[in-house]
Amino acid sequence: MTRATLPLAGAAMLSLILWSLSALNQLPFANWPALPFRAAEMDLTQILLAFGLMPRGVIALLAGAALGLSGALLQTVLRNPVADPTTLGMSSGAQLALVLATILAPELLTTGRWPIAFLGAGLATGVVLMVGARRAFAPVTMVIVGMLVGMTASAIATAVTLSQGQYLLSLVIWNGGSLVQQDWTGVLTLLGVLTACTLAAFALARPLRVLSLGIEGASGLGLNVAAVRLSAIAVAVVLAASVSAELGLIGFVGLAAPALARTLGARSIPQRLALSPVIGALILSLCDGMVLTIAGTSGEMFPTGVLTGLIGGPLLIWLLPRLRGSTPPGTESAEGPAPRLARAWPLLIAMAATLVAAALVLVWIGRVPGGWAILDTESFATFLPMRLPRLIAAASAGVALALAGAILQRLTANPLASPEVLGVSGGASLGFAGVIYLATAPAAALIYAGTMAGGVIALLLVAIFVLRRDMPTERILLAGIAVSAFATAVLSAMMASGDAKSWTVLAWLSGSSSAVTMPGALGLLAVALALWTTALMARRWLALLPLGQGVASGLGLPLRRARLALIMMAGVATGAATILVGPLSFVGLMAPHMALRFGLARPEHHLTGAALIGALLMLAADFGARMAGFPYELPLGLFASLIGAPWLLWLLMRSR
Amino acid sequence: MTLFSTQALSVDVPGRRLLHDITLDLPAGQVIALIGHNGSGKSTLLKALARQMPATGAITFESRALGDWSARDYARRLAFLPQTTPPAEGMLVRELVALGRYPWHGALGRFGPDDQAAVARALAECGVEAFADRLVDTLSGGERQRVWLAMMVAQEASTLLLDEPISALDIAHAVDVLTLVRAMCHTQSRSAIIVLHDVNMAARYCDHIVALKAGRVALQGTPDTLMTREALHEIYALEMDVLDRADGTKVAVPA
Repeated sequence: MTRATLPLAGAAMLSLILWSLSALNQLPFANWPALPFRAAEMDLTQILLAFGLMPRGVIALLAGAALGLSGALLQTVLRNPVADPTTLGMSSGAQLALVLATILAPELLTTGRWPIAFLGAGLATGVVLMVGARRAFAPVTMVIVGMLVGMTASAIATAVTLSQGQYLLSLVIWNGGSLVQQDWTGVLTLLGVLTACTLAAFALARPLRVLSLGIEGASGLGLNVAAVRLSAIAVAVVLAASVSAELGLIGFVGLAAPALARTLGARSIPQRLALSPVIGALILSLCDGMVLTIAGTSGEMFPTGVLTGLIGGPLLIWLLPRLRGSTPPGTESAEGPAPRLARAWPLLIAMAATLVAAALVLVWIGRVPGGWAILDTESFATFLPMRLPRLIAAASAGVALALAGAILQRLTANPLASPEVLGVSGGASLGFAGVIYLATAPAAALIYAGTMAGGVIALLLVAIFVLRRDMPTERILLAGIAVSAFATAVLSAMMASGDAKSWTVLAWLSGSSSAVTMPGALGLLAVALALWTTALMARRWLALLPLGQGVASGLGLPLRRARLALIMMAGVATGAATILVGPLSFVGLMAPHMALRFGLARPEHHLTGAALIGALLMLAADFGARMAGFPYELPLGLFASLIGAPWLLWLLMRSR
Repeated sequence: MTLFSTQALSVDVPGRRLLHDITLDLPAGQVIALIGHNGSGKSTLLKALARQMPATGAITFESRALGDWSARDYARRLAFLPQTTPPAEGMLVRELVALGRYPWHGALGRFGPDDQAAVARALAECGVEAFADRLVDTLSGGERQRVWLAMMVAQEASTLLLDEPISALDIAHAVDVLTLVRAMCHTQSRSAIIVLHDVNMAARYCDHIVALKAGRVALQGTPDTLMTREALHEIYALEMDVLDRADGTKVAVPA
């Protein structure tokens, strides 16, 4: 661990210096209040220091440590190097609870946000655990369900935020995670939680190590696998939920701290559990120090949580190829044999038929003031040019995203891989927001160009990663997530500025097909069909790659070229869909899992099935978005997750 | 003819050198056993030969430097079976074995009658026809090992590299597998390099023995040179008795 000492000491020094600078800037050292602090004997600046800046410095360390520990526990127990506190849906649950409380019952918030956020996080995780309990908290099921619950909660939260605009600003600031403190109570709460959870985590260290042998090895040694998984997850949830309730959503620390701990050479589980909180504390403390230095006391509302992605993202990208470290924990394959249909084509044909029928019906029916109507020939001719492009665009976007997801999940053999983890949608969103903020009244062409440029840059970044020799696929995923986190950070910072343009961006982020033109829709359709054909041509690669590098290269598969080609395919598809309908990458997460759950196991069936499901999902979502709030349009993303998530949950629960 | 030739081959991992300056010539057309104590570098050497692990020094395969082979040509000439086989989720035995044809038809080529015949032959040779339409995940350990072996056979490479292929097999199936490999080498002029733990199996079924000790070559030669008290003591640091059987072959047992 000597390798870790120097950079950690450097980071600690730097964050101390940053904090001290801003403290001394506020008040010369000679005037600092003496211990114990008594507010009655102080002047205003002394109070600001003793009850503002000092607890802020401490809480940054505590919260960072809590998130680091939470992430380390989750990555160990879920055996997935890209798991973090947001994976189980708890942050989104907390966010949704706060959004609902702010709008429906603001009086509840007078006692503080803590209980509400905690309740939301608890409910979300409760749902995940209930489903997980049916499978002894098996990692694959847990992460998929966690992602689903999280996506649904945040889609609802965004929709509510959009409909109740006046609260946008305060919610966005909470989302970004502000570390502003008024007294020491927050510090004491977090200190208590952190102490208790640290003790629990170290009591769990040995069982977790046994668990890392895999389920057979662990039960052979007499370990109650389900109980250990449940307790480790519970500790991680309490940690993350406390931070989120106290300070808001602080992303990325929980993912980056354990990843950095691994790359700094923490091999064993106790080492990782010890080092991750230290690194987490330093990351958050450094970020907060920078916020203080840059924004000064005037910029108190600037959320620190945003900066974690801004600094941590590039840091992780820079470190990944440099540090050898130990192999991250492998993904555990799904327990027991997966379902498999003897004959796949009848199901696929039925799906295609449903798709065509649905498209026809959706063109013909619509809502009019006071009821539903089937169009007569005359109005059909009027409505067709408006409806057809949207239908084509929505379905094609579903196909493209689902194919991208299926390709990535096979390529990385990681069930969490979705188009989002390539960073392409993040980059595209950044490009979109950049144009919106920088140009006054930008033309549509300029917006498209900006969005496309953002996506292409992100894709190139990830491609450079793939081209490096012997880069394990987990690291490619981490690199993509880092790009995404960076983009999200910048976006949140833009939104926190409170500009009216935040509206446009937020509306676009939640997805809409209303602005699509016919040429755009046909272009996307062409991309989707081209992708489907190329993916079918690459089906043998996609059959070999899940078997791992050893087997694939032993059979003469040109690994680097294949990976690059597949990632480029997925990236282009995601980019094209994102440009037209917004970053709805969770279709790409869900559709491939649904296809697998239906028993479509061979690559060509899996790909085709995922594409058809993606198209159906998006058609239904588009219909819902148009009709549910008639005559107003609701976000497409809301309906895609509201329809898709319960469907996939049902599939997951049903099969065994 | 020489199959593999290595010059000062070394493999390093952080903080440790796994193989030290190995210079070897391995003959073609024979069954070669790689033996040695745990951690002696047998699997490492095999992986370096299979291009699965970066190594320093020079290696030539069929008189061509390893780096000069394209991935596909190499896979057509040489098949490698890793020590632990990955899970093949949702895949049928027949599909897994058919993947062995990848170096021949590539990503887009037609899966033609030749390929079908090769798969059928491989299924038959390895005795896994009976479960050709079952999911690989549902097989027992020994059955799965034979299925993976069938995938290698379907690859129709002239050289087979096997990392402990009989570790999960009962004695009857272990003998079957080694007899099969031996027959393929002697009647179809293939070559095989097998990592083995059992010296008696190695002496009985292999033509040539390479013994490693702590990352260096300790002994190389025919089974007879291996089956002496002195040689075995040198390799395993254990007193062994070598007994003569009626047919002139030898067996070693711990003394």
